[in-house]
Amino acid sequence: MSTMPLIETHGLALWAGDRRLVEHLDWQVRAGERWCLIGRNAVGKSSLLRALAGLPVPGRAGELHWRGIPQAEWPAAEAATLRAWMPQQPADRFALSVRRLLELSVVRAGAAPLDLASLDIADLAPRAVTQLSGGERQRVAIAQCAVQGAPLMLLDEPISFQDPAHQGLVARWCAAWVAAEPSRALVMSSHDMHWVARAATHALALLGDGRWRAGTVTEVLQADSLREIFGCDWLPAGSSWLPV
Amino acid sequence: MARTLSPAALWALALGASVLAVLVALAAGSAGLDRELILSLRAPRVLAAAGVGALLALAGLSLQVLLRNPLADPYVLGTSGGASVGALLALLAGASLWAGAGIGALAAGALLLLLARSALASGDDASPRLILVGAMLAALFGAWATLLLMLTPDERLRGAIFWLVGDLSAAQDNGACAAGAVLLFAALALRGRSIDRMMLGAEVAGVLGEPVKRLRLELLVGASLAVGLAVSTAGAVGFVGLVVPQAWRLAGVQQTRQLAGLSALGGATLLVVADLVSRLVAAPMELPVGAVMALLGAPCFIVLLVRGMR
Repeated sequence: MSTMPLIETHGLALWAGDRRLVEHLDWQVRAGERWCLIGRNAVGKSSLLRALAGLPVPGRAGELHWRGIPQAEWPAAEAATLRAWMPQQPADRFALSVRRLLELSVVRAGAAPLDLASLDIADLAPRAVTQLSGGERQRVAIAQCAVQGAPLMLLDEPISFQDPAHQGLVARWCAAWVAAEPSRALVMSSHDMHWVARAATHALALLGDGRWRAGTVTEVLQADSLREIFGCDWLPAGSSWLPV
Repeated sequence: MARTLSPAALWALALGASVLAVLVALAAGSAGLDRELILSLRAPRVLAAAGVGALLALAGLSLQVLLRNPLADPYVLGTSGGASVGALLALLAGASLWAGAGIGALAAGALLLLLARSALASGDDASPRLILVGAMLAALFGAWATLLLMLTPDERLRGAIFWLVGDLSAAQDNGACAAGAVLLFAALALRGRSIDRMMLGAEVAGVLGEPVKRLRLELLVGASLAVGLAVSTAGAVGFVGLVVPQAWRLAGVQQTRQLAGLSALGGATLLVVADLVSRLVAAPMELPVGAVMALLGAPCFIVLLVRGMR
């Protein structure tokens, strides 16, 4: 069971209107891997994450398997024990407390409790989610996914609101979360290549015309491939790259 | 600040207030009346007020979750407009105003369901489309009600206007509203955790394994039936459905199970007290209970809001 890839796609294609986001995607996510989706704005990173989570997208074709079983065949309750998904923006309309929000997000009771201090949100438990800062709310959203107890976590831009110290904290947290259990894997998206180099083991780049590149972080994050992905030049900065 | 009372204390408070309100309403102004008269005349009216208040508060709670808007009220989707048109048509035809209202409310709910079924079936946040469809229905029904009101003969106009504001003086209750409120409370309490998760967003709730489409449908049908039952008993009583669940939220109650029970008690208490005041304050004349309730309730709610904002 655990040797099955958590995610496997065959000829997956996504489109929005007449725009092709990705085509012929043959790709696998295995336990222990931390993938980051990269690419320009509106290239389809969020749509791909939604599709991988089993959520509706404007246009979709091809196959998506979770643990070797077609995604559409997973009952909703079973799927909830397999994958968690964090949207780019939380849609809070009710002033629930952080504690209550996390209680409601538990799907597999009896899983090891999450140490809130590991995401620096221990003090926020009694606060209303509507009163948190963007960065605090984002770390609470990551915690929301973690307490669900699913081995596969899909995070849409987990550090877009984080200050530098918390970007590092989230990167270390992601690595520790995946390492804590052999069945876990992570797929996220980010625009910060320096952070991607630290937080991810693999990268999947969407080029904007349906083409894609997948590989280890060191394979994908190279000056020429970054130029192809983002359309700008890159300077080496230590073990990473900075846009010019 | 001592704003965070324990749930048990809140329950005791709400239960105590509602029992007290019912007892006072039964006894008030009864000097010289014997027990028989109180039980045969006054008790049904108090029961009707309590049932209608509870139904409207629960309908408001349901729609606030369905529309993901804490400011939704039971009439936002045009149900009361439908009830008004039904009531006025029945009045013109010489039929029972109350039956007409009930049929009108249910017809409006069915029409909304028909028009918004694609929005309800989608996995994402359906509330903007639902609210727009409901608002258009409300506008349409409002226009029809105004036209019908102009056609209403003078001798019936007063009764029609009383009904439009909410009126318990002619309420003939056989316990249907109270029974309906108990049923709706039980349904909400049974699905408490699922409804709580709906508050996290429809898609997040779906990822957590909740049957979002079915829950939405149940909330809409439950709320429409409740509103139909309430308006056919007491007319278009406003305010209670918006304010009661919201007041409990402001007091820190977050779980749907607690909210549903406290809202039912709170709605019942509010309407019983408002009816009592409307009977006594200008006796022997009676004021429409809907207007009295807003007169009493709105200032209290404003105080609560302003305190909450600090």
